[in-house]
Amino acid sequence: MTDDPHILWLGQEGAPGNPLLGGKFASLAEMTAAGFAVPPGFGVTTTAYRVFMAHAGLDDKAAFVREAARRSALADIGSARARLVEAIGAAPMPEKLETAIRRNYAILEERTARAGVPVAVRSSGEAEDLADASFAGQHDTYLWITGADAVLQNIRACWASMFGDTALSYRAGGDGAVAAGGDGICVGVQQMVEARAAGVMFTLDPLNGDRSKIVTEACWGLGEGVVKGDVTPGRFTVDKVTLEIVQREIVPQSEEYRFDPASGAVRLMPLAPEREHAACIDDDEALALATLAKRIEGHRGAAQDIEWAIGADGDVRVLQVRPETVWSQRESTTLVSESRSAVEHVLARLSGGRVATADPGQREP
Amino acid sequence: MTETPASGDTRQPAAAAPPNRGFPSPFELPTPDGAEGWEELYPYYCLISDERRAMEEGKFWFFDGMHNPEPLYPFDTIMTENWWVAASQMASRVWPIPVAMGIDQRLVNGYIYVSPNSVTDPDQIAARHEYFARRAGHYFENWDEIYGNWVEKAKDCIARLNQIEFRPLPELEPEETVFGHRGVYSSHDLLSAYNRLIENMLEMGSYHFEMLNLGYGAYLTFREFCQQAFPGITDRTLTQIVCGIDNLLLRPDDKVRELAELAIQRDLAGVVLQHDDPDAMLAAMAKAEGGAEWLEAFEAAKEPWFHFSTGVGYDHSDPVWIDDLRLPFIALRGYVEALQRGEDIRRPLERLLAERQRVTEEYRALLPTDQDREAFDGLLALTCKVFPYVEDHNFYVEHWHHTIFWSKVRELADVFVAHDFFDDREDLFYLHRHEVYDALYDLLIGWATGTPPRGEVYWRPIVERRRRIRDSLCQWTPPPALGTPPSVVTEPITIMLWGITEKTIEEWLGVDPAAAGDVLRGVPASAGKVTGPARVITRTENLYSVHQGEILVCRITAPSWATVFGRIGAAVSDVGGMMAHTAIISREYGLPAVVGVGFATATIRTGDRVEVDGNEGTVRVLERAAP
Repeated sequence: MTDDPHILWLGQEGAPGNPLLGGKFASLAEMTAAGFAVPPGFGVTTTAYRVFMAHAGLDDKAAFVREAARRSALADIGSARARLVEAIGAAPMPEKLETAIRRNYAILEERTARAGVPVAVRSSGEAEDLADASFAGQHDTYLWITGADAVLQNIRACWASMFGDTALSYRAGGDGAVAAGGDGICVGVQQMVEARAAGVMFTLDPLNGDRSKIVTEACWGLGEGVVKGDVTPGRFTVDKVTLEIVQREIVPQSEEYRFDPASGAVRLMPLAPEREHAACIDDDEALALATLAKRIEGHRGAAQDIEWAIGADGDVRVLQVRPETVWSQRESTTLVSESRSAVEHVLARLSGGRVATADPGQREP
Repeated sequence: MTETPASGDTRQPAAAAPPNRGFPSPFELPTPDGAEGWEELYPYYCLISDERRAMEEGKFWFFDGMHNPEPLYPFDTIMTENWWVAASQMASRVWPIPVAMGIDQRLVNGYIYVSPNSVTDPDQIAARHEYFARRAGHYFENWDEIYGNWVEKAKDCIARLNQIEFRPLPELEPEETVFGHRGVYSSHDLLSAYNRLIENMLEMGSYHFEMLNLGYGAYLTFREFCQQAFPGITDRTLTQIVCGIDNLLLRPDDKVRELAELAIQRDLAGVVLQHDDPDAMLAAMAKAEGGAEWLEAFEAAKEPWFHFSTGVGYDHSDPVWIDDLRLPFIALRGYVEALQRGEDIRRPLERLLAERQRVTEEYRALLPTDQDREAFDGLLALTCKVFPYVEDHNFYVEHWHHTIFWSKVRELADVFVAHDFFDDREDLFYLHRHEVYDALYDLLIGWATGTPPRGEVYWRPIVERRRRIRDSLCQWTPPPALGTPPSVVTEPITIMLWGITEKTIEEWLGVDPAAAGDVLRGVPASAGKVTGPARVITRTENLYSVHQGEILVCRITAPSWATVFGRIGAAVSDVGGMMAHTAIISREYGLPAVVGVGFATATIRTGDRVEVDGNEGTVRVLERAAP
């Protein structure tokens, strides 16, 4: 195990789909290899996490907490869990690992030609982004981290987030996925996109499962608000085949997530007044995003849920791709109630009937 | 008459909807000033009847501005009266369509309102279905053969129409009729020519609808299936999937492109570009070296392709290419200039075909199950089978046949002018066709007896009065609907042809044209966003006044307006269902278009700065022109 790499770059050979990167980062490596614009970064692999836990002597305690979670007995072990989280924050980092992380952060600084380049430190769980459960948002992500010291500190925070309330409860419910996926975690360190606008895209209409649509939700600033739900995004619905915008909902926005130099953190900040009622992406950008989504879906071979950002330079970056999990798992419902000839369909219609009796718009997820 | 910025300013607003969310009663509409007595222009059966007030008010009437945007000329009701029977009988008595009877009509202030009759009794629907399945099934199964015969019938009807002649009566019968012992003379020939003309029109009018309901029905079924599978799929995508990219309606413009290419090849571009006046150009062409060859090609192209109306063919006043060469020649000059700039003016048929195939295959792949793909394939194949008729009948009937019909009516009018009934051939259109029969008989009596016919003094004041009345009616804006709104719309033709659904009615009920404000909504027909000065065209003959880059605002655009699409920045129309060709032509020219706006011509004035958003389906008045 310890022979496995502790660090894997997104663009590195052997990275795409590598389980050592966890679900999210393995997918991003795959996107990078396929030529999609993914911000550069590296994963501190699940091996690195296990090496750290073993080095700190925390393996048994972790196993105990996870077992309690499986038995839904979390309430009984509150103090044990708090001690574990504290220990992960305080235990010494193996020197080799710390050096590797510092060295690779320095490489990222070099590659981006920016000292103290701001990065996102993102959890990428082994059980995450499987086709049957998204685990979306169950692990922590830390934005706008600068400098190797802060990166190291936030990697520990990601490791600790494995034992947070939400992560453990979600896992407790999704036993199949957990059993299949294991309990490792990779932590991604990736250049921040200083987003002018960002959001998510679905390669089907999440409201009714219509696969001929691409639905993009977008807001000003970083996409955190869309993911967290505390910013109401604008919505563009694009026909996947003709790539025409079929619906546009522009929502007024008063605050955006961006980096606040005063507090040194990302937080909700007032939006420039001239942007409050303006669309955060124009039609051309909405279509460029939909085109990108269609390509990603084509590459991945199934409906996807995509996080994206547009930088101040106007370039689109893919931040996350994962299989769409709600509609994709449902059995396809046939639209036509009975098999008959086209002429019979027309005759029935002109007698007051309809061809399709199952209406995708009426179906509930 | 030319379109001036002030035109339309004198239009009187339509009566506002009463507060109970119904439409105005047809009995409550005020007669426009100066139009008192307008009812005399039309037969009794075209008018709202006071004796049947409850029935008339209980029906839902909507304005058919798509076919007749203006108050009808009395003679022109032959077209509307034709489909009143010919289209209706197909649904009610011939097939019969289980859920639909015919489509009723009334003329209100000279404007045509129509009302579809539905069948709602389930037992009756079931009984009609039996007949319908057998009869319609026969047509669908044998479609190509029946359509092949239909084309022959249509051409034969047109050939017989061409043979009808009208000539003033001679001073004395010619020798050959006497010595040929015919026993019938010029009087009989003239009367029977008129009868044949009317019968020929009604014959073609019947062919018009022989297969149309079924064609629409197939498309409607395919469309609804796709709309359920892909909610929000646009009509422009659906028409892209089924429309012929090489249908006959595009042929006249293709011929103009060919003539432009020939002019370039024979070094005749200068001759084409030198003269705006068609006669001057043709005269110069005759003198130019190689001009004879071009003229020969031009003459060949005219038959039948220049029998092309600039309207929908139902109005005698719509200019026709073959009679008024300005429209095709404007396009011709445009194409010649494009060729001189090195542009390729041919329609990219292969690219259009490839794109259509891609779109079709991608949607097909997105269907949930194989059973759905089977239904999609079958309905698409059937729709593509019926579509050549749905599109091309329009050329045979409304363009080729009807434009010749109107020219024959003018030939008859010349007989009346020669016999001193009218001063101008156009005056005849102020008589209903039954009145024309009377006038013609009056003329025969005068000729036969030697007593001057009463018609010499009778018709002139009537024509003058009717002209004034009709001009006053033109200043009125018809409300989109009258009577009692229906809760459901099931009649297929209403949905297909006029694009009227429960949603349309809901929107009409919610809109007060006087308070519509500066943002108008319609159907996004062709993508893109353009801002420019508006040019409101309510009369087809004013089409020439459209300037480069203007936004065309009209009641409806006809396929034959294609030639001005090369100059305009965007198109906006009051009406337009899914079968409107505006969308297809706009897309081909890459112009934004919004159709079915409802009140565009009443709200927008020529010279207003407007923004047309063909993505959103909105038309915004940004700046009002100075009054």
